[in-house]
Amino acid sequence: MKLSIDHVTSFSYDTEVTHSIQYLRLTPPELAGQKILHWQLEAPGSIHKTMDAYGNILHVCTVDQPHRGITIRASGTAEISDTEVPETHNRVPPDVFLRTTPLTEMSDAMREFARGFSPDTGNTAHTPGREQLIELMTALLTRIPYRPGITHVQSSATEAFSQGFGVCQDHSHIFIACCRWLGIPARYVSGYLHAGDDQHIASHAWVEAWVENAWYSFDVSNGLATNSHHLKLAHGVDYLDASPVRGVRWGGGKENMRAYALVDQVDRRQSAEQAQQQ
Amino acid sequence: MTKIQIPGPEVFDEMLHGDGARAHYQAYLDWLQKTPDASLEQKRLEADTLFRRFGITFNVYGEEEGTERLIPFDLIPRAIPHSEWVQLELGLRQRVTALNRFLHDIYHDQDILRAGIIPAEQVLTNQQFQVAMMGVDLPGETYAHITGVDLIRASDGEYYVLEDNLRTPSGVSYMLENRKMMMRLFPELFLAQSVAPVEHYPNLLLDTLQCASEADSPCVVVLTPGRYNSAFFEHAFLAQQMGVPLVEGADLFVRNSCVYMRTTTGPRQVHVIYRRIDDAFLDPLAFNPDSMLGVPGLLSAYRDGNVVLANALGTGVADDKSIYPYVPDMIRFYLDETPILNNVPTWLCRKEDDLAYVLENLQQLVVKEVHGAGGYGMLIGPKASRGEIEHFRQLLKQNPSNYIAQPTLCLSTCPTMVEEGIAPRHIDLRPFVLTGREIRMVPGGLTRVALREGSLVVNSSQGGGTKDTWVLEGAPC
Repeated sequence: MKLSIDHVTSFSYDTEVTHSIQYLRLTPPELAGQKILHWQLEAPGSIHKTMDAYGNILHVCTVDQPHRGITIRASGTAEISDTEVPETHNRVPPDVFLRTTPLTEMSDAMREFARGFSPDTGNTAHTPGREQLIELMTALLTRIPYRPGITHVQSSATEAFSQGFGVCQDHSHIFIACCRWLGIPARYVSGYLHAGDDQHIASHAWVEAWVENAWYSFDVSNGLATNSHHLKLAHGVDYLDASPVRGVRWGGGKENMRAYALVDQVDRRQSAEQAQQQ
Repeated sequence: MTKIQIPGPEVFDEMLHGDGARAHYQAYLDWLQKTPDASLEQKRLEADTLFRRFGITFNVYGEEEGTERLIPFDLIPRAIPHSEWVQLELGLRQRVTALNRFLHDIYHDQDILRAGIIPAEQVLTNQQFQVAMMGVDLPGETYAHITGVDLIRASDGEYYVLEDNLRTPSGVSYMLENRKMMMRLFPELFLAQSVAPVEHYPNLLLDTLQCASEADSPCVVVLTPGRYNSAFFEHAFLAQQMGVPLVEGADLFVRNSCVYMRTTTGPRQVHVIYRRIDDAFLDPLAFNPDSMLGVPGLLSAYRDGNVVLANALGTGVADDKSIYPYVPDMIRFYLDETPILNNVPTWLCRKEDDLAYVLENLQQLVVKEVHGAGGYGMLIGPKASRGEIEHFRQLLKQNPSNYIAQPTLCLSTCPTMVEEGIAPRHIDLRPFVLTGREIRMVPGGLTRVALREGSLVVNSSQGGGTKDTWVLEGAPC
């Protein structure tokens, strides 16, 4: 499937910002399952391109002229595979993704929930397989239904779990925490989802878990054990590590952020346009 | 003459042995016995006044009254015979070399994990392990430019390494100030005996930091969290002694992957940052997002090789108490040598058998938090109340992998001036090891003394004091 993406993030500030700097993970990598046909990143100030330890493409954007706002636009087209092609190459050992971070801690309630998915709780050498993780994913979506507005961007897995509702970020953090607790390396993935209905806000997060010697995708919010509608931007141990935009500024007072991401299927629209012309 | 309380036979005293002095302390003891009480008391008051005037103070966390306190300085030096120091120095070189090799290895090929010497998971999931360091090539493969190794001497007369401090070891300013004070108060002692100098430490440190960068004339700065940090005095002191700027995070910024310092004449590129800020606070864009202490963007500049951090990011994994038991294995693995310095036998409570042993023997053991420092969060079994022991038993059961345990080693003593006169007090030793093109250190280090009778906690945050440390050249063993 060929996707076109247009992702705009704008910040505006009440007062003048003297200096700001952002880490941007807004450029998708070439992977076995995704081919980047064209990509463009537009941001103000000076931009330095580098790579982080996981191999994500990182742009460091510095603005040192006084400004009242910043607009960052990532756009392009990519071809994604209809069937999942899990990554097997590792720049850092998979066991790194067994680490616990403040956003991916387990609570007693979460342990209680995840315990049933451990095939043999007495034997840590025996970890669940992909099928069991799919069951875990399904159970998690039932337990913590998707509902925006309950959690916020800083919510941890334990907070979201106790509130009983969450968005993709929360689902991913809870799922990651459970996987790691079950002895399975799991990483946070940020990217875009093609949801079918055009004009959908489609900046998304899901999980990759290391099972059967490959990184398999688990999109908890959509109950999908595949990445066939997903374009990956970056991965890391949690949201903070894989966040598409992370910035610091000097001055500015109150911040107002607006973001939209349009994900369209290019071939389908092309064929629809062709159909209209005929 | 002041009455000197003789230590019991169960402890190793650095100065006294039976009725008399050890050979290297004979000259000093003769002098001490000839010196009138009043004169010593006079010197003590003088030292107090001078330290207050020069402002050598220490901030103590969690104390209500004031934030600054004078670290007590003891007039009686701790002396080490030269021959003994030579052995210690060999052992320290060996240990620090192996620790730097270990850090390079775990952030690259991980041979030691593949070889099964250390369980991989224990390193990779360690909170001090920095994934961001993976694959980063550092100049000279140096991670710990400055290491402060804590040594103690036990009742058997042997030195043991208690911990390796590879993050931001502090205390070297006290080593330097103590020597200056002693030379001022007792010049005659330094004329009579050949005490190895330590004053050149700031020069060695500056040279080490400059050599850490591949830039032609590198700009070095000391990065401090600010004046409320417990070691702020030391940060200011070292910057001043080296003649380099003392900066806070807000004085630095990153542009085009390089670090700059704001100056009155415009931005100036910084090549080496002697940072006294913990990893988690260095870059709010990569680590703790709430940190106001660091420099946003620093990690990307560092990973690109455009600035040197001393010590490197992620050195803490090598001095973590759960990794400490493996240091002798590291020495054998990387250097194919026999460890010169002893490790203290350590039980890792994450292991089931070890935990069972520890729970049964809490009364005899010292229990420490894996990531703890500064003498906080530890249990000294033989000195603890029943309630304290039960409290730790619960903590151990709840989170065993957070703790290690060691036998209670009786630290050696050294005669120390206290209210009742001169009495034995327990001491340790922290030499400072500098790693650049070569490994260098000034003879001795910082001697800390537990001033409360019988106490084994020497940390300045817990009421410890310091002594001047003498390595006596040509002294008999």
